[in-house]
Amino acid sequence: MIELKRIEKIYRRGAEDVHALRGVDLSIGKGELLAITGPSGAGKTTLLHILGCLDQPTAGEVLIDGVDAARLPEAQLVGLRRVKIGFVFQQFYLIPGLSVFDNIALPLLFSRKPASREKIAALAEMVGLSHRLDHVPAQLSGGEMQRTAIARGLVNDPEILLADEPTGNLDSENSDRIFEILRSLSSSGLTTVMITHNPDLAARAGRTVHIRDGAVHP
Amino acid sequence: MSGYLKLAVKNLLRHRTRSALTMLGIAASVGVLFSVLSFNRGFNEGLAQELERTGLHFMVVPSGCAHEVAALVLHGAVIPKFLDTGVMQHLQAADGIALATPILVAQLPNVQKGRIDLVYGVDMQALAAIKPGWRITGRIPSQPDEILLGHEVAGHEKLKPGDVFTVTADGRRLVVAGIVGLTGSQDDAFVYLPIATAQQLLNRPHAATAIGVKVADPERMGEITDALTAAVPGIQIVTMGQVMNSIANLAAAARAMSLAIVLIAVLISAVGVMNSILMAVFERSQEIGMMRAVGASRRDVFRIILEETAILSLGGGIVGIVVAILGSTLIETFVRSVMPYVPSGNLISFDPLLALGSVAFITAIGLGAGLYPAWKASKINPVEAIKG
Repeated sequence: MIELKRIEKIYRRGAEDVHALRGVDLSIGKGELLAITGPSGAGKTTLLHILGCLDQPTAGEVLIDGVDAARLPEAQLVGLRRVKIGFVFQQFYLIPGLSVFDNIALPLLFSRKPASREKIAALAEMVGLSHRLDHVPAQLSGGEMQRTAIARGLVNDPEILLADEPTGNLDSENSDRIFEILRSLSSSGLTTVMITHNPDLAARAGRTVHIRDGAVHP
Repeated sequence: MSGYLKLAVKNLLRHRTRSALTMLGIAASVGVLFSVLSFNRGFNEGLAQELERTGLHFMVVPSGCAHEVAALVLHGAVIPKFLDTGVMQHLQAADGIALATPILVAQLPNVQKGRIDLVYGVDMQALAAIKPGWRITGRIPSQPDEILLGHEVAGHEKLKPGDVFTVTADGRRLVVAGIVGLTGSQDDAFVYLPIATAQQLLNRPHAATAIGVKVADPERMGEITDALTAAVPGIQIVTMGQVMNSIANLAAAARAMSLAIVLIAVLISAVGVMNSILMAVFERSQEIGMMRAVGASRRDVFRIILEETAILSLGGGIVGIVVAILGSTLIETFVRSVMPYVPSGNLISFDPLLALGSVAFITAIGLGAGLYPAWKASKINPVEAIKG
């Protein structure tokens, strides 16, 4: 369902051109749980952003359900992000003033859908936060914050969930819990791509791709 | 509350002090704006009312400067030119005149006290028509040696009705018949006496500074003044409308200046808004990157930032108006103490339309100031922002 073909990405950083991705070919099937590993600066995050229609490659094709996202204008990329993609970040990026409920509901604001209480409650229950809906992020533990972020990533019913080091700021117990949530999501049909530095978690994923110097090393 | 509005409010509440200070800047500028506009309006209305209250339609004066006449009508300036009361014959003979009364304003040496008094000679019978707003303690003088004191003069000398005000050079005792209640205007500083007495004391038996005229039918005023000017040499006719224009012209310069200062204050507060919102945008660039990743378009980001600006401006505007209304008495007291001429009555009164207009104006300015930060926020590259 997702196919990357000969992806090249070059961007400017100060005076130099950074060749972040060099001819990446990758196909990801529906419901797969894919772990991306590799050293810092290898191009993992750039790859994830291209998968998430947040960034576009310098060359190559990004086929999502047969549509080449690499050639779409920004307005249509926004549409794709709203409908098909959920993002989870290492730093959670919750909005401090908003409750857990409102943080989870935030993407609905942008996709112009009503925030139904049942739906948010169901998502919160799925990530184990039913008792925290009225709390603000400052009152949560790191694991709870990331579970809030996962629920937020799921609220638009995406087909793909992209997580950039979702356990990078968590202890092993919370990391396990997050990983289990991602695994159960993928087994229920959600395509899940996760960047991780944790070799244990990578080993437990359905498939692992290793990226070094902008290229895939199986 | 709509989702966007809630988000904007919560964002502003994250930096309460900063938001409050920015709002304070807006409140201060809109408060001053509203006060100045209200004052200008109140000034013009008060002036019109005051002129209407004199009960006179025009003044006959010796040919000269209209501003001098304006000053005479409103606070009794001393003009070193006199009319001969012989002019009264023409006026009494003229058609359509309801009342014509001579007024003599002069400075009179007070031998006993070694100072100069401001005297206002007037036909006491016509006083009610000229100064209908006065509240008098005691009574209006009926004898040639009786006088009426302005509130300030009476207070300064600690005089009450029945007391002797002064003994003149030729031995006449001027007795206080009544005291005028506080008017808040220059009227408080005068000594009022029958015009004949004033003429005798000044040794100018037929002199008058002006003749106040009331016509029977105000619609025929143009016709009457034209006829008089043609028939009587050496006079000038100044209508109350002209007096008002003279004063309004004098006040206009001051108002333009005050308005310019207010606009600068508004501009400064707008820069404050821009600065505050721009700072918030930079601080939140990662969060904005996240919002873009979870489906916000550039336009959505633009809207969030602009709504924050709108809330700041609108909130500040409303606070400013409320404070200006609550503090209007204070402002008015201050203005009265520094302005040379201020009509009596309430200068700063609450006009809902003006308040609404002021708030709308500051909100529009605030939104204008928010455009750049909002545009800047919408241009944040989510990929770079998320990388940090």
